[in-house]
Amino acid sequence: MKLTKSHHTILGALMACSTAIPTSAFAEELNVVMFSMPYTRALAELEADFEAATGHTVNIDVIGQDVFENRITLSFTGGSGDIDVVHAPVIQLQRWVTANWLRPVTAEVAAMDTKDDILAGPLDSFVVNGEQWGLPFLAGVGMMAYRTDILKAAGYDAPPATWGEMLEVAAAVDTPETAAIAMRVAPGQGFNMFVYPQIMRAYGGAFFADYPTDLTPNMNTAEGLEGLNTYMSLMNDYGPDGIGNFNFGEVTAAMQNGQVAMIIDESGLIAQTLDPEKSKMAADISIAAVPSGPAGRSPAIAVHGLGMPADAPHPEASFAFMEWATSADVQAKIAISASFADFTRASVASDQAVIDNFKSIHPEFLNIRVAMLNDAIGHYRPLIPQWPAIGAAVGENINAAVNGILSPQEALEAADQEIADILADG
Amino acid sequence: MPKRDMSFKKIAGVTMMLACLAFTFLPIIWSFILSFRPTTHLFEPIWQSPTQLTWDNFQTLARSDFPFALFNSVVTAGGSTILAMIIGVPAGFALAKGRSQRKFIASWALLLLRMAPPVGFVIPLFLIYLNIGLLDTWIGLIAAYMVLTLPMVVWSSWTSLSQIPDELIEASLLDGASLFQTLVKVVLPAARPGIVATAVLAFLIAWNDFFFALVITRSDTVTAPVAIMNFVSYASVDWGSIALASIVLTLPTVPVIIFANKYIVQSMGGAVKG
Amino acid sequence: MLPSAGVQPQFNRAYRMMLFPAVFAVGIFAIIPLLGMLGLSFTDFHLIKPWDRDIGLHNFERLIGDRRFRNSISVMMMLSVFGVVAQVTLGLAIAVGLEKIVPRWRFARGMFVVPFVVPHVAVALIWLSLFTPTLSPINAFFDIFAITVPPLLTSQYGAIAAIVIADTWASTPFVMLLILAALQGISSDLDEAASIDGASKMQIFWRITLPLLKPALLMVALFRFIETLKHFPLIFVMTNGGPGRATQATNYYAYIQTFQSSNVSYGAAIAVFLFLFAGIISFYVARANARLTDA
Repeated sequence: MKLTKSHHTILGALMACSTAIPTSAFAEELNVVMFSMPYTRALAELEADFEAATGHTVNIDVIGQDVFENRITLSFTGGSGDIDVVHAPVIQLQRWVTANWLRPVTAEVAAMDTKDDILAGPLDSFVVNGEQWGLPFLAGVGMMAYRTDILKAAGYDAPPATWGEMLEVAAAVDTPETAAIAMRVAPGQGFNMFVYPQIMRAYGGAFFADYPTDLTPNMNTAEGLEGLNTYMSLMNDYGPDGIGNFNFGEVTAAMQNGQVAMIIDESGLIAQTLDPEKSKMAADISIAAVPSGPAGRSPAIAVHGLGMPADAPHPEASFAFMEWATSADVQAKIAISASFADFTRASVASDQAVIDNFKSIHPEFLNIRVAMLNDAIGHYRPLIPQWPAIGAAVGENINAAVNGILSPQEALEAADQEIADILADG
Repeated sequence: MPKRDMSFKKIAGVTMMLACLAFTFLPIIWSFILSFRPTTHLFEPIWQSPTQLTWDNFQTLARSDFPFALFNSVVTAGGSTILAMIIGVPAGFALAKGRSQRKFIASWALLLLRMAPPVGFVIPLFLIYLNIGLLDTWIGLIAAYMVLTLPMVVWSSWTSLSQIPDELIEASLLDGASLFQTLVKVVLPAARPGIVATAVLAFLIAWNDFFFALVITRSDTVTAPVAIMNFVSYASVDWGSIALASIVLTLPTVPVIIFANKYIVQSMGGAVKG
Repeated sequence: MLPSAGVQPQFNRAYRMMLFPAVFAVGIFAIIPLLGMLGLSFTDFHLIKPWDRDIGLHNFERLIGDRRFRNSISVMMMLSVFGVVAQVTLGLAIAVGLEKIVPRWRFARGMFVVPFVVPHVAVALIWLSLFTPTLSPINAFFDIFAITVPPLLTSQYGAIAAIVIADTWASTPFVMLLILAALQGISSDLDEAASIDGASKMQIFWRITLPLLKPALLMVALFRFIETLKHFPLIFVMTNGGPGRATQATNYYAYIQTFQSSNVSYGAAIAVFLFLFAGIISFYVARANARLTDA
């Protein structure tokens, strides 16, 4: 049967590459696939630096995220060997490792001189089954941006520190012209499921009974319900029109254009609202920590890095690129040229030019970012191979609740049920 | 007929047509506005700052991969149209004039191919392409577009060539021409509107494709509809560039459809006359 | 197709030679992947599970009990039915308008056709911007009169309406062209005879023109119906299947299962179902077409 044969080809390709002999004395031509974000676009413009430093040629292909997911799924499934280095979000890592799509780089990383300069949290998040599967270039955390003028006019000198206060401030500042708050609501494991767990966890909710030992779904609890109700109230009562389909783009744009008084999103995007070239309101915007709740603070965290596909034909050259693209040098350059705040090298934060750049953006920016990094837990979104499917399913149910298609109770029940189904399915 | 009544109906009719024209054109006008607005004024109504316009998006577009992708689109859509016409028109002719018991099955099969859900067979298609080295090549994409265009070309040329009188063909054959010569020298000139319409529709199908290009192209042969999605990036949705790219992507086909729509009507007229 | 006795039986071989390249091309580029899809649907190919050789109907058994699958069918039917009704109504209105009400506007026909050539990805992005309240000129315009336009993309049926509107905008021109073609095929003698008999224009339209158009309307409706089953870019770009799962049509659900949930075989099974469904409807299209042209 044709199919069986093609699957053998896949397995064959996987086996062939695990025994591939590294060849590196020669200049290789590398294909790097990344999805579009400020860092990757800036990196693509530095291609020539890498070529000058190593003698390899590199083609960095920066594409839309949706297009990216398609392309790599097909390339890896087919074992096509046409990608040398791939953009690897930690949230996909378990899935990719389980599917045998990546090649571990444990030995290479251990041999790096500058290994200790990499922030431990982001680096460790690339460890699965005791092996290192990539190098981080981005660690984004949850952060709040707020309009000082609007809050002051309502009598608040400081931004809300808890979600309870947030409800109160939102009620006070919400007007038909300027809504109080915007966060991502569009369904997706990287969309609403990036911001929603901040509230869920602050109220003591969790995805599972006791991660990672007991993976019984556990979203439908009193704490979980309280978190969901808070999120729904903030979005529906104090959010802008159409919030139910807002994604990061709309959230950031709403803040930049003065349509909303507060947003909570990822640090890299918060930095964009402080940039006078992109943000009409930059002068009136300040930043703060993510609010906390009865169970403490759990800022969102997203770590992205570079991994080596299992079928990459030139492992040594691939790793040379991974090392270069995540190096302190390159990160510092991009931290200045693109105001990239999510760097993963400790030394970048002590680079005077970088410090000056962020001082001019906001004096507290780097400090708040570090505080959020310290508060964030590694398994903010559970690190299991099924997460992409679970995140999508839960995200759809949470979105349905916000948009009134399901009651909060029904949404959480459905979420638990679907998590159980996905885990049972493999 | 009372004249007053007539004019009232006339006004109602004209109003309806104006409404339809507005529905058709307002989104297009809107995308022109979007493409000339600076990012900082995108979110305020155009009447608040009508003079705030910019050429920035043209630069963004020119610097991006989009022009290259547009070129890929022209090559692949054009290539697959030509190939589908060369292969498909004779087949349509054979179905129109040849003797066959299976014409109903043939028409059903053509429709079915046109309707097959791409989601299901992209993985097999991808694996085949991978194994024969057609991934990310013009030839591969042109061949894949044949899946879309060929059934359409066969179906459509079948319809329009059926209207050519048998006598014309018989006369040419009696003069000693071969069947193929007859097709090229006699039938095609007589069926020009239908052939033009067929080619235009085939080109549009390939030109508009998103899914096939998403699956079997990489950086070398990415087509414009896929490249547009690259403006939807993390951090921001670049509405200005998206709108401009949409306009640029549409522009080349507008004169074609304005010129060819009368042929489409003429050729379909034969297909659907009561 | 028009009746044709066929010309010159001695040319049968030549005719077959003409058919062969097309059959060959379709066989390679369409039939083989389709067989692959069918094959996959009986297996258990899951990207993050080891390959087991469990071949059987289990994917189809699972379809029967799958709530999300049933939901996707009702979403698909709503998108298709409302879309087809809207497109045929509007297409008919414009075609009749151009032909009978304002014949002097014939030059405008080319303008009405423009949306037909806008690629669907662009259609989706343009309408997404129009349906995003913070960006949309529609909302800005009504805000002047202190009227709040309800955000369509955040309600269950609103999101379906939004996709139907975008699809109608893009596809009505095609329907309009087909109806225009059929209208021009109707002899004007009938109209004249009826109007001499004292029938009003309205009566002529309802009693004579519309019944004569019926076969053409049916065919174009079926044609569009099958096309709408394949909705992808509009959903992918405008709603991501949301709010909740309100716009997860079956085709999109197959995509989610394949690419998001890694369940390639289950995705293929859904696609096989869609293919069979389209097959049944294409059968009726082919029959309607045969009747239409053989009459």
